[in-house]
Amino acid sequence: MLASRLIPRSAIRTLPSRQLASPVAAPVLSRWARGFASASEEKDLIIIGGGVAGYVAAIKAGQEGMKVACIEKRGTLGGTCLNVGCIPSKSLLNNSHLYHQILHDSKNRGIEVGEVKLNLQNFMKAKETAVTGLTKGVEFLLKKNGAEYIKGTGSFINEHEIKVNLNDGGESVLRGKNILIATGSEATPFPGLTVDEKRVVTSTGAIALEKVPETMTVIGGGIIGLEMASVWSRLGAKVTVVEFLGQIGGPGMDTEISKATQKILKKQGIEFKLNTKVVSGDTTGELVKLDIDAAKGGKPESIDSEVVLVAIGRRPYTQGLGLENIGLELDERGRVIIDSEYRTKIPHIRCIGDVTFGPMLAHKAEEEAVAVVEYMAKGHGHVNYGCIPSVMYTHPEVAWVGQSEQDLKSQNIPYKIGTFPFSANSRAKTNLDSEGLVKILADPETDRLLGAHIVGPGAGEMIAEATLALEYGASSEDIARTCHAHPTLSEAFKEAAMATYAKAVHF
Amino acid sequence: MYATRVLRQAAVHAERTPLIRFLGPRTIPSSIDHTPQPHPASPSGKLPEGFTAYYGRGDAASTHTSFGAYRDHAQQHGPLQKTIGTDAGIGGSSGYKLGSILPPQGVAFDVSELPARFRRQPLDLSEIEAIESGGAAILG
Repeated sequence: MLASRLIPRSAIRTLPSRQLASPVAAPVLSRWARGFASASEEKDLIIIGGGVAGYVAAIKAGQEGMKVACIEKRGTLGGTCLNVGCIPSKSLLNNSHLYHQILHDSKNRGIEVGEVKLNLQNFMKAKETAVTGLTKGVEFLLKKNGAEYIKGTGSFINEHEIKVNLNDGGESVLRGKNILIATGSEATPFPGLTVDEKRVVTSTGAIALEKVPETMTVIGGGIIGLEMASVWSRLGAKVTVVEFLGQIGGPGMDTEISKATQKILKKQGIEFKLNTKVVSGDTTGELVKLDIDAAKGGKPESIDSEVVLVAIGRRPYTQGLGLENIGLELDERGRVIIDSEYRTKIPHIRCIGDVTFGPMLAHKAEEEAVAVVEYMAKGHGHVNYGCIPSVMYTHPEVAWVGQSEQDLKSQNIPYKIGTFPFSANSRAKTNLDSEGLVKILADPETDRLLGAHIVGPGAGEMIAEATLALEYGASSEDIARTCHAHPTLSEAFKEAAMATYAKAVHF
Repeated sequence: MYATRVLRQAAVHAERTPLIRFLGPRTIPSSIDHTPQPHPASPSGKLPEGFTAYYGRGDAASTHTSFGAYRDHAQQHGPLQKTIGTDAGIGGSSGYKLGSILPPQGVAFDVSELPARFRRQPLDLSEIEAIESGGAAILG
């Protein structure tokens, strides 16, 4: 073979003298070939992570005409959101709500049904069908937009090179002019409790339980905890939520809305222990035992449950990324530090999504993905961090955007309030689904919208209107004078706006 | 007609001016300041010290205090690694020390073994198609 006899000039130049004495072609050649930049084609953009942030950036970059590769190790695109987060949980929430309604609500509506049985296996299959359809759809979109999808684990070799350990075996090295870190987040473990995803579960295990547990304790009364609590409570589990703070829904939820939500969820059978901390856990017995105490101490007790869900938050995921090889530092909470254009301290390496600043929300990551590619391709992008909606998909849904009343109070910002209950909304009444209210906060002088908070049916869809109004800088009168169709739930939003600047008509 | 106009004029003062107004088509500012600013969602509201050291590579004099510092961050077919004074890598040893660049007796170099950038550019499918169709494929 010619190759075995020949030694390239450059290879000779880089060889240490002891190797020169007996040049062995094969290993020398492979080392030589790897050492050069031209070993692989240079990409305009390499994205590490194929979650919502990563895949949206890949599609957008493809649309902008960039040569882009997206590295994902899960084997399917969409990240936590599509695979084990937002999407599968919505399937479970929707179907468990239907089941619960058929069981407990159909009689009031004049519908008599025979025996109703839960088939948990098929229930989970429906979830998987939704997930598979969507992840495949994303893969198609990447292909359609010319973005390369690489299944493997990426880590930095240096500022421009990424080593990929391919899922199918082997390894490759990619070079990129720009690199985007979009590695997302993982569930924060609870110290002292080992997650086995069977008895002690995170949200990942909570969407895949093999049977409905008799008892379930949820550590953390945030959005994820309450959504999962709703699912299993509707399917028959006795659920207790333990929350360290004095309110459910996390610190972002407006206190008045949080209290109203808690009341509704309590009526549905979920038990709450607020201002309570979990001291320790014991998994040795048949049931998982949690020792809890008042947040301030002095009220110790213990709870036994078949399943414990740890939902105390999520933390940025940068494990194995090789950040140490490029000298990138993280902040005290493990987030990658970036500037306003998503650049790390190495300007061509940018970072978006859960792994950096801001709320850990899929739609926030999606906005950032579009903006970061625009910064690269055009030099300008846009994300308004004051205008990112949050939605909790319990029933009724809870949604909010902008500032809460406690935010405004703490900053000494003057405000006026307008509220409207769904019990006065015609559509909610006819649907026999009229729990909740809309609350609008506006500037008392200019009437400009400052925040909107909704608990009620269809809140997650309705919040889009509030978000648009907030983004455009609308006044509550602008909303109130905009014609809303009758009879719709969105009339409640219009009436709350009327109540903010004048008076609601129907309340 | 006239009466309507009078009525409308009289109503002008009573008409409400919405806060939302159409501002015209979106325009891109002609100059954008790209100096690093803290991220709006950053909890500290400031960038860590030394964050900007890497920026402005194009203007070495303003961002690097010495040629050594500039070279540490310079790019040429990838980052220029600091090899002078170390044994490994290209430039690690002087040409004299490496010996003759001529191939040993009985050994020849082949173009195919050179790095890709020195080789003939491979044709891609669209180019082949364009050649075969006499250029018609480009228009199609």
